[in-house]
Amino acid sequence: MQLINNSRDDNISELLKTDLNKGFRLVVEKYSSRLYWHIRRLVIIHEDADDALQNTFINAWRSIENFRSESSLYTWLYTIATNEAFALINKRKKNAAVSFDDLDDFFTNSQEASTWFDGDEAQVKLQNAILQLPDKQRIVFNLKYFDEMTYAEMSKVLKTSEGALKASYHHAVKKIKNLISKD
Amino acid sequence: MMEKPKEITDKNPFKVPGNYFEEVNRKIISETSGYNQEVKKIGLYNRLKPYFLIAASITGFIILSYTAIHLLTPEKTNSQLSEVLFDEYNDIYINDIDILTLEESAASVMLLEESPDISKTDIIDYLLLENIDINDIYEQL
Repeated sequence: MQLINNSRDDNISELLKTDLNKGFRLVVEKYSSRLYWHIRRLVIIHEDADDALQNTFINAWRSIENFRSESSLYTWLYTIATNEAFALINKRKKNAAVSFDDLDDFFTNSQEASTWFDGDEAQVKLQNAILQLPDKQRIVFNLKYFDEMTYAEMSKVLKTSEGALKASYHHAVKKIKNLISKD
Repeated sequence: MMEKPKEITDKNPFKVPGNYFEEVNRKIISETSGYNQEVKKIGLYNRLKPYFLIAASITGFIILSYTAIHLLTPEKTNSQLSEVLFDEYNDIYINDIDILTLEESAASVMLLEESPDISKTDIIDYLLLENIDINDIYEQL
């Protein structure tokens, strides 16, 4: 699956050089869903994820010239999306009177958030446990557990060594298991 | 790797409105296409021209102001300065230095006193995520 993704990314990269609009259209169609879910798992609320997703692609478009020297479209886009999600989370922390450590905090502050969440008890427990992690560790966990990203790719996205990421993920899993078993 | 519990694996608890991805894709593509056309029309020189003009205006204003002040202000020699004024200025200068030194000393103490409690877990998380090797720390000790 990864090989197919990489070869198509090569084709898209070539097309971006010859026909920018057509190439970027393919980028959007291929990655919008994947990037959306990555962002959504971090910011929780659909409206926020929607804003961050659009900003991601607009920023990608604006710096498309920079991409041409990058090695991987996939990791480049994930880097931009992660930065957008991070910026939104930090902005929310500055503006909010409450901390967002629990799904209920999100649902209390936004009725819309509860509309677009349909998890059972097990999923609520897992999401709440993930929300207890420090932000960067949460990103590491999500990328590994949900996106099944390799440590090599994650290293490029988060600019962190593979060793540190492996340790961070192991640490995160331990914490989440403890939190889930406590409830 | 943490195994995904079967009841969680296949179901995504987050939902989106109907046709969301078709609509957002269309919106993104229309926004970025329009931006591209504007960028193509404006060259580098034209984009930087306003900044050059502002910089030139500011530089001209500074030169004119300096020249005007220099021409219009009568020269004062050292002999016209009273010794009293000089002494007063000197005292103020010394007092300012003392105050600065005191503030800096106080700030460093206050920082130490106000440091929040940091748990071992927080330290470990920081080290892992900031890519700091524990061996580097041992070498510094």
